[in-house]
Amino acid sequence: MKKLLFPFLLIAAMVLSSCGGQATPAGEPAAGGAPVELTFMMWGAPEELAVWNKIVEEFQAQAPNIKVNVEVSDWTAYWEKLKTMLAAGTPPDLFAMDAPYYLDYQTRGVLKNLQPYVDKNPDLLTGVYPQTLEAYKTAEGYFGLPRDFQTIVLFYNKDMFDKAGVAYPTADWTYDDLRQASKDLTLDTNGDGTTDQYGFTADLWDMELAWSSAIWAYGGDIFSADRTQTLIGEPAARQAWQVFHDMMFQDKSMPDVNTAAQYGLDLYQAGIAAMTPIGHWAVPGYNTVAFKWDVAPMPKGPAGQATSVNSAGFVVAEGSKHPDEAFEFIKFVLSPGGQTRLTELGFAIPVLQSVAESPVFLQQAGYSIDQKVFLDSLAFAHMKPVFKGYDEWASAVGDGMLPIWTGEAELNPTLDEVVQAADEVLAKNK
Amino acid sequence: MQAGVIPKGRERLTLWLMLTPTLIGLAFGVLGSILATLALSLTKWDLLTPPRWTGLSNYVALFTDEKFTRALLNTFKFSAFYVPSVVAISLAVAMLLSRKIQGVSIFRTMYFLPAVTSAVAAALVWNMIFGKDTGILNAIIEFFGGNGLCWICSEHILTAVLIVNVWGAIGEGMIIFLAGLAAIPREYYEAAAIDGASESRKFFRITLPLVTPSIFFLSIITTINAFQAYDYIYMLTRRGQGDSSFPVIVYSIYRNAWNFFNYGGASAQAVELAVLIILLMAFYFWLERRYVFYE
Repeated sequence: MKKLLFPFLLIAAMVLSSCGGQATPAGEPAAGGAPVELTFMMWGAPEELAVWNKIVEEFQAQAPNIKVNVEVSDWTAYWEKLKTMLAAGTPPDLFAMDAPYYLDYQTRGVLKNLQPYVDKNPDLLTGVYPQTLEAYKTAEGYFGLPRDFQTIVLFYNKDMFDKAGVAYPTADWTYDDLRQASKDLTLDTNGDGTTDQYGFTADLWDMELAWSSAIWAYGGDIFSADRTQTLIGEPAARQAWQVFHDMMFQDKSMPDVNTAAQYGLDLYQAGIAAMTPIGHWAVPGYNTVAFKWDVAPMPKGPAGQATSVNSAGFVVAEGSKHPDEAFEFIKFVLSPGGQTRLTELGFAIPVLQSVAESPVFLQQAGYSIDQKVFLDSLAFAHMKPVFKGYDEWASAVGDGMLPIWTGEAELNPTLDEVVQAADEVLAKNK
Repeated sequence: MQAGVIPKGRERLTLWLMLTPTLIGLAFGVLGSILATLALSLTKWDLLTPPRWTGLSNYVALFTDEKFTRALLNTFKFSAFYVPSVVAISLAVAMLLSRKIQGVSIFRTMYFLPAVTSAVAAALVWNMIFGKDTGILNAIIEFFGGNGLCWICSEHILTAVLIVNVWGAIGEGMIIFLAGLAAIPREYYEAAAIDGASESRKFFRITLPLVTPSIFFLSIITTINAFQAYDYIYMLTRRGQGDSSFPVIVYSIYRNAWNFFNYGGASAQAVELAVLIILLMAFYFWLERRYVFYE
């Protein structure tokens, strides 16, 4: 018997150790006040978890029978985990949604229709910026609601501007002013023949950061109204592309992709570039840099001023066993109390107008930048497109345009190919 | 094959008990995954709605899928250079380090370190080394009067990727060859020395034939790794959100499954990858029958 005891124990130990981490059960069915447990999954940094737990605490003070378990993952892991859970049929009750991906999920029937709840609470959305609600409206109503939003503005390094004697960006800047300032701010500071400081840098892969705003400012558009045609190759749009192309290869005030890669992912934060267009999510990270900086609205093009607005929202899983309680939590986060707590996070802008236009957002502790620029930008912001097949379309365009930004391909012929590939993706995803 | 000790009675029971957890894991984990992938490759599945049967249309679509073809060609080009480089360099390093010189264990450790370093961390450092204006490699080249190259531009990206991957693989190859070389009886070399053989004759007539089992083994392992190479390559070539300037097959499979809601297509790509590797293995085994000498 002794000879078998050891193997048995060993096997038992191995089997038990592999049985770890069962999924938390969805909770017992609530019957008016019976305790309910909800899972809420989102992407973000670990600091965001602390603030969300505070929000949950305050929510539970109001609704003591509802317990919310918040899980935070990084961006890539979040979508993988989410899709796996949805495929397995064990989705979280509530999860965070990035507006562009919304239709990919909604058209596949995994989101709960929130319109009945919204109809029962007519005052819920009255104080919310209408531009942030656009993305979530479908023919059958809302399948999700925004929790905070982002507008793209121009961040600039005040120290570099002072040193070069260039005036700070203003709300009247045009793309020509941007080009001129970038040229003046591109310097070889140590005289070794290579550029050490660039005037401008931007992520040209994702449309949100720079090129969608530029195309809109030049009077072009990204899609046709029925989403069957990609319009980034039209004449007005090509003018916008030409601006970035000239800045990169003629003025050399913007580093090409391969040059930028050697400095890491964010040249502005590294103190190598003087200006960059990006959203409010970068603000907490940028607050740790050694230089003084501020924000200004995106420049004007021939067709006027334009920037991009995007939001992160809540959705409830179709398979959730507690949709009513889940909506109660959404209601709380959209209330002034919840929105105030969210603003303290610093990553995004609250969707509730009363909180956004109050000192809670405008005079956040620890920041000395002009937060109002983000709100004023809403006046001329276009919504970041939301459509089925967003990821694939964005890859077709981003990958296709990449050889242009490494200097290996011509702008106009490549744009023709990219538009074709992008239209094929749109056709596939009808 | 040598016969081992045949277990009897109680020992047999112990043996099966010890093997069961691993066998269960293999059956459900590996075998189950393979069967699932084969089945999924015949469907259209976006993970969120139930799979739809589509027969062989995913495989047919692969022939016209430009992105997949590009990834496939990149992988082939990469493997064609990678496998011979790893085998040859590992053999050379192992031969140099199989002698009893002073400090040989330090050298062996140094060559093995890449194998135990995190690929992501190593690739980030290599990114700095390969930088066009700020990189150490170009600084060294220019110090000796040459012109610095743009290593991560598309003309040289294959070379850069090869350098990093080969660097990472030498350690394991060296270990295998050290063992293989140690198995060659010294008497052969002594006999050859008595007969007046030169060093190169010793190598081509004694060392090389007797080390062919190790070459065979390492070639198989390296080829499989070459087709599955992903981490170093992605870390060196990533641009923008999840994009890569040198896509390989594993990268294409990942994107189709997780970003493009095309799990069926991704499964078809994985099956095609497996079939290609199996065909190469058949070729290797044919070579083995002709060229590998077992003592």
